[in-house]
Amino acid sequence: MSASETERNLSEIQQEGLELIRESGGIHQSDFWKELDVSSRKGSRITDALLEAELIEREETVYNGHNTYFLMPTAKDLDFSLLMAGDMLSPFIGEEEVDPNSDSFTQWLMNLAYEE
Amino acid sequence: MAFEDLLEDPVIQKYLHELVGPTGMPVAAAPPDGEVTDEELAEELGLELNDVRRALFILYENDLASYRRVRDEDSGWLTYLWTFEYDNIPENLEEELYRLLDGLERRRDYERDHQFYLCEVDSIRFEFEEAMEFGFECPECGSPLESMENSRLLDAVEERIVELREELGVERERRAEA
Repeated sequence: MSASETERNLSEIQQEGLELIRESGGIHQSDFWKELDVSSRKGSRITDALLEAELIEREETVYNGHNTYFLMPTAKDLDFSLLMAGDMLSPFIGEEEVDPNSDSFTQWLMNLAYEE
Repeated sequence: MAFEDLLEDPVIQKYLHELVGPTGMPVAAAPPDGEVTDEELAEELGLELNDVRRALFILYENDLASYRRVRDEDSGWLTYLWTFEYDNIPENLEEELYRLLDGLERRRDYERDHQFYLCEVDSIRFEFEEAMEFGFECPECGSPLESMENSRLLDAVEERIVELREELGVERERRAEA
């Protein structure tokens, strides 16, 4: 099943939860259920479903003195167009080292400053 | 074909093109479902076996393909069965976003800490110290070096840094962690 199909099969509240995690760029589980205005149990069920569908990721963390999870969108939701300057892709791709003074990076920066 | 969702993204197409080059692109752009041999791909795409192998090896080096070897019981020959691992593309590109952020932050510091001089004839840029050594004359053509503004470049760099930090959820200066 493709990612977009998986998303269409979510319930309304699961979709709202996913939207919240994407828009915030990352949120603690304890804030998540409060913002969604559901119980903490319902909140965990929603995040379990989103984790199961691989639409989000989570990390254990301590927040306000409590153990909780930090919920994040998965990498596939990132805006990869930030690698582009005009029609040029980041010159560090395929290179071992990041050389901030390379000619190819200068060219990329010129595109960024003068063509966008 | 598999991974249609990913391959619709023009940045991902560009990324694959960057890795495998134009001759490898037919291989990279049409990943089959399940396992496939290099010979099958070459025949299906009408390509030289060497070009197919080269593309597969580059994908393998970038965690975008894997293989398993099977020995043919009759001939004793080894066959490589390839699987495309394009699920790893988003994570690879996430890593590239971090690398780009790192490059931009280091370049911003360099641009901020230096003064530049330009030969308008040859379009060569010199740092202040270099320009002074050459007596503010272009070593190539002898025309005078003019002081050069880089605020437009710096603004563009700064703006992209902010966008990347926001997208990656990086709040602190990465250099501050080191």
